Amino acid sequence: MSTLVLGIESSCDETAASVVRDGREVLSNIIATQIPWHKAYGGVVPEIASRKHLEFINPVIRKALDDAGVTLDDIGAVAVTYGPGLVGALLVGLSAAKALAYSRNLPLVGVNHIEGHIYANFLAHQDLEAPLVCLTVSGGHTTLLYIEEMGDYTIIGQTRDDAAGEAFDKVSRVLGLGYPGGPAVEKAAQTGNPNAFRFPKALHGELDFSFSGLKTAVINTFHNAGQKGEELNINDLAASFQESVVEVLTEKTMLAAEKKNAKNILLSGGVASNERLREVLTAACKDAHKTLYFPPKVLCTDNAAMIACAGFYRLKKGNIAKWDLNADPRLGL
Amino acid sequence: MIFRLKSEKDTHQAGLILGEMASSGDLFCLSGTLGAGKTYLTKGIAESLGIDPSKVTSPTFTLVQEYFGKLPLYHWDLYRLEDPSEALDLGLEDHLDGDGLTVIEWAELLENELPKERLSIRLIPDGDCRNIEILASSKYQKTYAMIKERFSSCFA
Repeated sequence: MSTLVLGIESSCDETAASVVRDGREVLSNIIATQIPWHKAYGGVVPEIASRKHLEFINPVIRKALDDAGVTLDDIGAVAVTYGPGLVGALLVGLSAAKALAYSRNLPLVGVNHIEGHIYANFLAHQDLEAPLVCLTVSGGHTTLLYIEEMGDYTIIGQTRDDAAGEAFDKVSRVLGLGYPGGPAVEKAAQTGNPNAFRFPKALHGELDFSFSGLKTAVINTFHNAGQKGEELNINDLAASFQESVVEVLTEKTMLAAEKKNAKNILLSGGVASNERLREVLTAACKDAHKTLYFPPKVLCTDNAAMIACAGFYRLKKGNIAKWDLNADPRLGL
Repeated sequence: MIFRLKSEKDTHQAGLILGEMASSGDLFCLSGTLGAGKTYLTKGIAESLGIDPSKVTSPTFTLVQEYFGKLPLYHWDLYRLEDPSEALDLGLEDHLDGDGLTVIEWAELLENELPKERLSIRLIPDGDCRNIEILASSKYQKTYAMIKERFSSCFA
């Protein structure tokens, strides 16, 4: 018996909906900003605001159902992100999910957005099984999770200040490389020397991260050179910064996998698109006889397919939400 | 007032004092360039409110983070909003009317739309040091005086 889960995601910038069959087969994956809505809105698209989510939520859900070739009659459960994120944004998706589930008498499943990123890997790799360690690294999060069994997770490490993606963004801005910072820094780093500059390593708990010191060190190096009138190779600086980030992300992820005796390591979140990180982690996994998984780029950024997938496994474990499920901006932290 | 913070330890201490002097419904506007120490200062503020500072992370991408200590702490960051006034719709207005302490990083991006009554804190990098400059509106004069007294004995 097949179960179709309708997944809904509206935790921050993206409004997304998706239909997934049996937790693995993506029938539709609608992400609002990837569709040329601006044509319908005459070129003016509301920016990050509850308003945007309000305007997109229904069309996005409708398109998810249409593209999947199904109707609400075919849906077996509704999964929705209930945190972490912006409370105003979360409430839009949550309210839509509750309304649909309640009116159709369907189970409602609440999903942690960070947990969702883990499941992006389960969508991309059909043979993936727990137990595993997952590094979720993006603009807003840098978290190490341990999954002993599908449908549950434990946070075992996280950033104490800036997320890695955020550090990329801010360094990119200071170096004048543009936005979005991740790809811009990565591009500059391609022709830079990763050993040109050595930055101090932050010492923070075993599995916790800290990137604000590194960010400040890079900014200081840049400004000091400017003040002294010294010439600075921006690509070298970008490459050295990137190398420092990749080094610490890899080190802690491998340490976590060793501690938990996990054979499988997952990489997810926006920064999972970084080729240098993939390269270094792949090599480290090979040395340690572990297997690394990461999703295709479209599933690295925020989407609802991962929510539908996570929702399916939570449903299987009986983790059904009550009708008073509320948005939790600080969930899981 | 303007004081010199010679190390991260000083920034942390300054944060602790600011948090100690905060009252329900207060607004602290934080400004300073990238890497000036705005989030680091906020960690000190949070700690004195009984909140675990290691849990206070940068709200740049999340826009706002809420913590519950002696007072609720609403930690905002307007850095990445193309239109900072959207923050008002996203809950900032509720926080400003609330019972907690609202700390806004990059507050200068919303200068004209934030309440005039506020404590303005600016962190200015100077090599490895930071200068901390504080200005207070009329409602915050008493708080200002208490902070000045404590800063004078800590940061000679």
